[in-house]
Amino acid sequence: MTRLFSLSLIATLVLSLLGCGGEQQDELVIYSGRSKALVDPLLEQYEGEVNVEVRYGSDAELLAALQEEGDQSPADVFWANTTGALGNAVNNDLLTELPDELMEQSARFAPTNQRWLPVTTRFRVLAYNSDTVSPEDLPDSVLDLPEHEEFEGRIGWTPAYSSFQDFVTALRVTEGEETARTWLTDMQALNPNSYSSNTPMIQALDAGEIDVGLTNHYYVLRLRYGDAKVDDEGSIDPEASVATHPFQEEDIGNLALVTGAGVLQTSDQSEAAREFLRFLMSDEAQSFAAETLNEYPLRPGAEVPEYMMPVDEALALSPDFDFERLQEMDPTLDLLRDVGAL
Amino acid sequence: MTGARVLDTIRDRWYVVIPVAVVVGGVLIPLVYLLLRAFQADPATLWDLVVRGRTLRLLGNTVGLTVGVLVGTSVLALPLAWLTTRTALLGRRLLTLLGVLPLAVPGYVMAYALMATTGEYGTLAQTLGLVVPRLSGYVGAWIALSLSTFPYLFLNLRTAFLGLDPSLEESAQALGRGRWRVFVQVVLPQLRPAFLSGGLLVALHVLGDFGVVSLMRYDTFSYALYIQYAASYDRIYAACLALMLLVLTGAILLLEARLLKGLLFHRTESGAGRTAAQYRLGPWRWAGYAFAAGVAGLSVLLPAGTVGYWMADSTASGLPWASLGAALWDSVSASAPAAVLAALLALPVAYLGVRHPSNWTRVVERVAYLGYATPPLAFALALIVFSLGAVPFAYQTLGLLVMAYALHFMAEAVGPVRSALYQAPPHLEEAARSLGRSPLGAFVSVTFPLVRRGLLVSMAFVFLSAMKELPLTFLLAPIGFETLALNTWSYAEEAMFGQAAPYALTIMFVSALFVGVLLLRERATEHPASAERA
Repeated sequence: MTRLFSLSLIATLVLSLLGCGGEQQDELVIYSGRSKALVDPLLEQYEGEVNVEVRYGSDAELLAALQEEGDQSPADVFWANTTGALGNAVNNDLLTELPDELMEQSARFAPTNQRWLPVTTRFRVLAYNSDTVSPEDLPDSVLDLPEHEEFEGRIGWTPAYSSFQDFVTALRVTEGEETARTWLTDMQALNPNSYSSNTPMIQALDAGEIDVGLTNHYYVLRLRYGDAKVDDEGSIDPEASVATHPFQEEDIGNLALVTGAGVLQTSDQSEAAREFLRFLMSDEAQSFAAETLNEYPLRPGAEVPEYMMPVDEALALSPDFDFERLQEMDPTLDLLRDVGAL
Repeated sequence: MTGARVLDTIRDRWYVVIPVAVVVGGVLIPLVYLLLRAFQADPATLWDLVVRGRTLRLLGNTVGLTVGVLVGTSVLALPLAWLTTRTALLGRRLLTLLGVLPLAVPGYVMAYALMATTGEYGTLAQTLGLVVPRLSGYVGAWIALSLSTFPYLFLNLRTAFLGLDPSLEESAQALGRGRWRVFVQVVLPQLRPAFLSGGLLVALHVLGDFGVVSLMRYDTFSYALYIQYAASYDRIYAACLALMLLVLTGAILLLEARLLKGLLFHRTESGAGRTAAQYRLGPWRWAGYAFAAGVAGLSVLLPAGTVGYWMADSTASGLPWASLGAALWDSVSASAPAAVLAALLALPVAYLGVRHPSNWTRVVERVAYLGYATPPLAFALALIVFSLGAVPFAYQTLGLLVMAYALHFMAEAVGPVRSALYQAPPHLEEAARSLGRSPLGAFVSVTFPLVRRGLLVSMAFVFLSAMKELPLTFLLAPIGFETLALNTWSYAEEAMFGQAAPYALTIMFVSALFVGVLLLRERATEHPASAERA
């Protein structure tokens, strides 16, 4: 018995060390910073047609891996959550230029270097606990938030999280370094709770640990409407007492944050990779993003569920901003470190 | 030593030389990688980044949390180890299993569970009307980490209790010492190697923890390091922070080595070894049951119950059986071989350290711990560079992942084997050799059976850790490989707790099963051994 046990263990060991490795020639390898939890159902549909393998990870992990892999990378597509990660990939010359025909499908936020394709967008919002806060008491501009001393110790933010840092970069670029520094210092004076990411912050908001939090719109929608997909808001019973407060039109607090994808220089299947990008802009993929992820589709004319703010309205709220400048991360990080938020 | 003699030694002792070379190489690769990356840094920026008040605060926080968790785990582990080995309490085997299971709970799940229980809107407030502040900061991290890491200490202490030579205690008692003084003056000092190796694992775990401290919002080194990688996509400064963390680890290892020096706990007299008698607790047994139930309730039932609640609360229809099955197979097919490999690598390393103590064998043993303290993300990046450069065919294969798990978690395997070796008398092996056995033969027939229990514990540790591992799996697994842990984390990170729950429960269930089987094997090894001794 013992011998059998040991033998089988050793056999497993040897077999696994020999490994079942080796990439098949014809498969499309996607490095996805978008989490499996979000995009797996969509990719399963696509896998029916094409042989696809996906490596999931965070944007940063995958970027680091791509750089260490260099020329030997098996990846064909980099699909990222943030403009910052895509910009970083462009700076490191990881992505190839995309044809006009593809870029035209998503003109709204397209980068001039044509190295990646915008796929969906999300918006920064102020989330609040609807049991303890009334929306009339909330500011019209994110710049006025530090004046609300009643929220001392009751504000949440995510200084280590990419979407918050993108917001600070935009603040710095549009309003100037000094305004950004003052805003951060004044916010610090309110003794905000720093969360590692948006999910625990929204949980804390729902649990009454804080009253307001700076976050992205879809976290609130997902917590509020959960898995219940209902067409008509009137019939939805919100699952959580968390709501969003948009600031006034063109306020930097309503910044749009774009997700996107690009084809890697190392790809040996660039046509299949571009085909995948086309799929991401298809009706099927764009309505999946709207209905399941509660993100805003970038394909012109795509619809969103009723409980979401209509696309045009949401886009009008967001300020006009040259978001290629979101790549300028280093001064933002320095600023956050200077004021003691990081 | 001449070259020829070195070659001879290598040929004769290949079974020691090869594993030791693998271990040292596996730890040096990441270290060299980090040094290479760190030297790419711009010195001025680096200086500003490293020398600032925050670094000092991080250091203070990290050390403070480590010390706190060491105390917390001792308070939990020592009584539990004593209760399950030296008393006649019923259900000791079940208690032992429950004392190991917290290792099957991912740290972030423990943190979420504690946070969901406390606070104005927490379960405690809603069911019992008991409002305690929502856990966070130092206290939150301290409680969560103590609850999830005490098994490292518990199992080490348990192995030590089982291997204690009762004759010392009996002599002390015969000389008129009371039970309590015998425990403090005779038993406790003998537990020192177990305390040190268990405590070392706890300390290193706290140093490297990200899941708990990030959710509890407590700034430590590893949290800062993660932010560096994630926020600025910057491998270079992150490498510098990782090196600082390794220096801190080095200091702890030196301290442990100093405390361990000159210890010798095997039996020296002739005659047969026995297991110590078990105390009957009388009415005190209820206190024992209450303590054990309290610990198990907080560390196992609370997180398992919370995950169960997520699942019941979810509106998702049915369980994703196909995906669960695939993820389970992927998890086990990487974790089980890694557990065996790590134990096999740890045996010669620990053997050298205990039987041939010299400066360089001690260095080899410590080096194994450095691998554990290297941040997994850096470890994974180093292995990408190494495997693509040296063995490109192995990149993104299961074999590389198994190797990475084994090398990274080997430190967990060294401790239990080392504790067991300290208690295995060397003269038995010498006797076997004088009767004509080869060194390897003598070891296999005499010492191996005595350290088998330690090896089983080693395998359990590595298996449980590998089942929860994230960064190594993300970066080194074959493409499309999906472990239970990857799924749990992915869904929980997006606040889809209902979908995360089945994967988290499967991790716990399979881990419980695996540990249960190991404990049964332990029982099987106990009986023939006592028969031989009689």
